[in-house]
Amino acid sequence: MIGPFELSQTVSLGLAVVLGIFFGLSLERGGLGNPHKLTGVFYLRDFTVPKVMFTAIVVASVGLYLLSDLRLLDLDRVYIIPTFFWPQIVGGALFGVGYVVSGYCPGTAMAGFATGRLDALITIIGVGAGSLLFAVLFPILEGFYLSSDMGQTTLPKLAGVNNWVIIGAVVAFALGMFLLMEWYEKRKVGHGTHREAFPNSVGDNAVIHTR
Amino acid sequence: MKDKRFWSPYIAGIILGLTLLATFYVAGRGLGGSGAMALVTAVGSHALVPEFISKLKYFSQYITPESPLLNWNLFLLVGVFLGALAGAVFSGNFKVLLDKGKSMSVRTRLITSFVGGITIGFASRLARGCTSGVALTGGAQLALSGWIFVISMFAAGFIVAAFYRRLWS
Repeated sequence: MIGPFELSQTVSLGLAVVLGIFFGLSLERGGLGNPHKLTGVFYLRDFTVPKVMFTAIVVASVGLYLLSDLRLLDLDRVYIIPTFFWPQIVGGALFGVGYVVSGYCPGTAMAGFATGRLDALITIIGVGAGSLLFAVLFPILEGFYLSSDMGQTTLPKLAGVNNWVIIGAVVAFALGMFLLMEWYEKRKVGHGTHREAFPNSVGDNAVIHTR
Repeated sequence: MKDKRFWSPYIAGIILGLTLLATFYVAGRGLGGSGAMALVTAVGSHALVPEFISKLKYFSQYITPESPLLNWNLFLLVGVFLGALAGAVFSGNFKVLLDKGKSMSVRTRLITSFVGGITIGFASRLARGCTSGVALTGGAQLALSGWIFVISMFAAGFIVAAFYRRLWS
């Protein structure tokens, strides 16, 4: 069957909950409900975020373009995230600031709240407040918000090459990064346990269970 | 490094990637986190102060005449909560706490979690999504948007972390 599908609202919303459960489970079980692990990459002490993120990107992009090449998925009916160059550069930078300051991003804040973290709930309320602030300031921001519209640009289209050239580059980049991170962790952390390596980690109390 | 509390990040990444792929396949869209939070804010604030909120042009996309809360991203986010809750409870990782950097006071943590959240909320409206909606989804689609967002986010994050080491260490 060729995806994506025309779904009734009930089926669509039911599927959203099911997919969300897998999304939340992989975030929490990957350690991404924990702000110490979420910010670890920025202090070069825990590379969980780039490992989870780039593994997911590699799996999903290989799968997406493979399904399309096999004519199992109509790529024209997949909503490609549009590019607004400068708003996304500035938005991305501001986002990075908020991410390190709060220790979360929206999805992981929801995962963190589900693990019992009250600071994550405060961050979620903050995200709402920030959205409201954006809406209030929108008359001033609208010109910039709509600027540098590049449409649904993809890297292969931009570079004028086959999709698999870019996917190959992404896979090579991810594998190279993973090897570098593993090497760095071994070198820096040595044979120490997690507790020795991260004596400062809050939330470690009583959460290490033996089975 | 082994962190026994969690799965290998590569295993978690594979499951996350397959989830994203399944979302592309069945629904023709990706994952998202911040959009649903903006939606709930718009609908909630509209219920409280309708005169003020209905004047906000940006929020008008969320205040639809028929049941705005029957929304894909919102149901996805409910799923995220349930999935993460199940993961935390069954692994014995659930614990009610105010998590913070070791050298940080509770008062400072209340401020950083809220102010950081405001920054994230504002930034994800400007960028048209967050780590899930733009970085992960756009990144996997090989969309330019996803990759410029990722590069910009990590660059800014490293700079902030270098100046404010006390935040999380």
